[in-house]
Amino acid sequence: MTPAPTVANDPVRALVLAAHPVPDSFNAALHSQVVRTLRGRGWEVDDCDLYAERFDPVMSEADRRGYHDVPDNIAPVKAYVDRLQAADALVLVFPVWNFGYPAILKGFLDRVFLPGVSFRLDEGKVVPNLTRIRRLAAVTTYGGTRLRAALCGDPPRRCVTRAMWHVCRPRTTKYLALYDMNRARDDTRHRFLTHVGDQLRTF
Amino acid sequence: MRALIIFCHPKEDSFNAAVLDTVTSHLTSAGVEYRLRDLYRSNFMPVLTAHELDCYLDESRNTQPVAQDVEDVQWADALIFIYPTWWYGLPAMLKGWLDRVLVPGVAFVMPKGEGDNIRPGLTHITRLGVFTTCGASWWLTTLIGSPGRRMLTRGLRAICAKRCRTVFAAHYLMDSSTTASRSRYLKQVAGRMQRLTA
Repeated sequence: MTPAPTVANDPVRALVLAAHPVPDSFNAALHSQVVRTLRGRGWEVDDCDLYAERFDPVMSEADRRGYHDVPDNIAPVKAYVDRLQAADALVLVFPVWNFGYPAILKGFLDRVFLPGVSFRLDEGKVVPNLTRIRRLAAVTTYGGTRLRAALCGDPPRRCVTRAMWHVCRPRTTKYLALYDMNRARDDTRHRFLTHVGDQLRTF
Repeated sequence: MRALIIFCHPKEDSFNAAVLDTVTSHLTSAGVEYRLRDLYRSNFMPVLTAHELDCYLDESRNTQPVAQDVEDVQWADALIFIYPTWWYGLPAMLKGWLDRVLVPGVAFVMPKGEGDNIRPGLTHITRLGVFTTCGASWWLTTLIGSPGRRMLTRGLRAICAKRCRTVFAAHYLMDSSTTASRSRYLKQVAGRMQRLTA
C-alpha cells in the first residue's frame, strides 16, 4: 500500500516591491537577483517595480478622508491590495535615502497598508492583519556607514524589522543591507549580491 | 532668524493646520521672517526621477528641478517640519521633499578622494523644529523606535550646524484626541517655539 499523499504543497507566493528609478543601477541588479533566486526555488513571484508601474505615492485629501472607512478605503488602490493580500512572502528592495524609504515606497505603505488590510483597530488597539505573510525580507543599500546609521538609530532598519514586522508577524525576517555604498568597491558589491542570493535561497 | 516651514497635510482643515497657525503666529509675534512651503497645496511631486538620479552627483545640475526649494533652504537658518506621522514615519509627500531637495552640494559634501567621508552641508541651519501627530501611542511608537522622529532629529540634524537647537513635540493617540488634549498640545507647540526662537 502506498501512503496517501500529504497536503499538496502550493508554491509560495512572493510579492517583491522594488523602488529604484534607474534600470542599470546596483539596486536593479539586486532586484533581479532577488526575483531570479525566488523563482529558482519554484516560488510564484509577483514582481512589482513601483517606478516602472508609475505608482502614485501621494495620499490625496479624498484618500485621507476615507482612510478609516473599511472596506471602501481600498477602492483607489484595490489592485495593489489584492496583490499584497495574495502574498505569503514580502521582499522589499530599495535604496536608503536620507535614512528612510524612497518616497515611492513610503507611499505604498501610506496608501496600501490600510486599516482593514494591514491592521485592524480593535477598540483603538492595532491588531496585525497581514499574518498570511510568513516571510519578510528587505534588501537595501545605504550611502552612509553602518556607524552613521546606528548613530541616528537606523530608522529604515526599524521600519522593516519592527513596524512592518508588527503587522505581518512573520516566522522569518531578514534585513540584508550594504552600507557605505559610495565607497564600495566592485568586489564588495559582488560579494553582497552573492550574499543576497544565498540568504534568499534558504529563506 | 529666518525660518522655512515645511508643511505637509492633505486636508486643509486638519489639526495639523492648527499647529501651523500656532507656529506662524508665534513667528510673527517674535518678529521672525519665515517662508512657508505647503507641499500638498502646491502639488509637490515627491518621486525622485531617473533623470534626477542620473545627475544626482553633478552639483551644477542636480538642483535645477527643485531650484526654489533649494533657494529656500539656503536662505533659512531654521527648518520647521509640521506633518502627520504615518507608519511611524513621514508621509511620502514629505519624504520625497527630503529625497529631491537634500541633494549633494546642498545637504551633503560628497567624498572627494579615497578614505574621505560624506560631510554635512546644512551647517547654516542652527535651529530645527519638528511637530507631528501620531495615531499610535507613545509606547508603541517608542517600541518601534520612532523612525520618523529619528530621521529628522538625528539623521537630518547630523547634517545641520553642530549643537543645532532642536525642539520636538508630538500628539500621540490622535484618533482618540479630545478638544482638551488638542489644545494642550497646541500650548506645548507654542512653548517649544518659544524655546526655538529664544
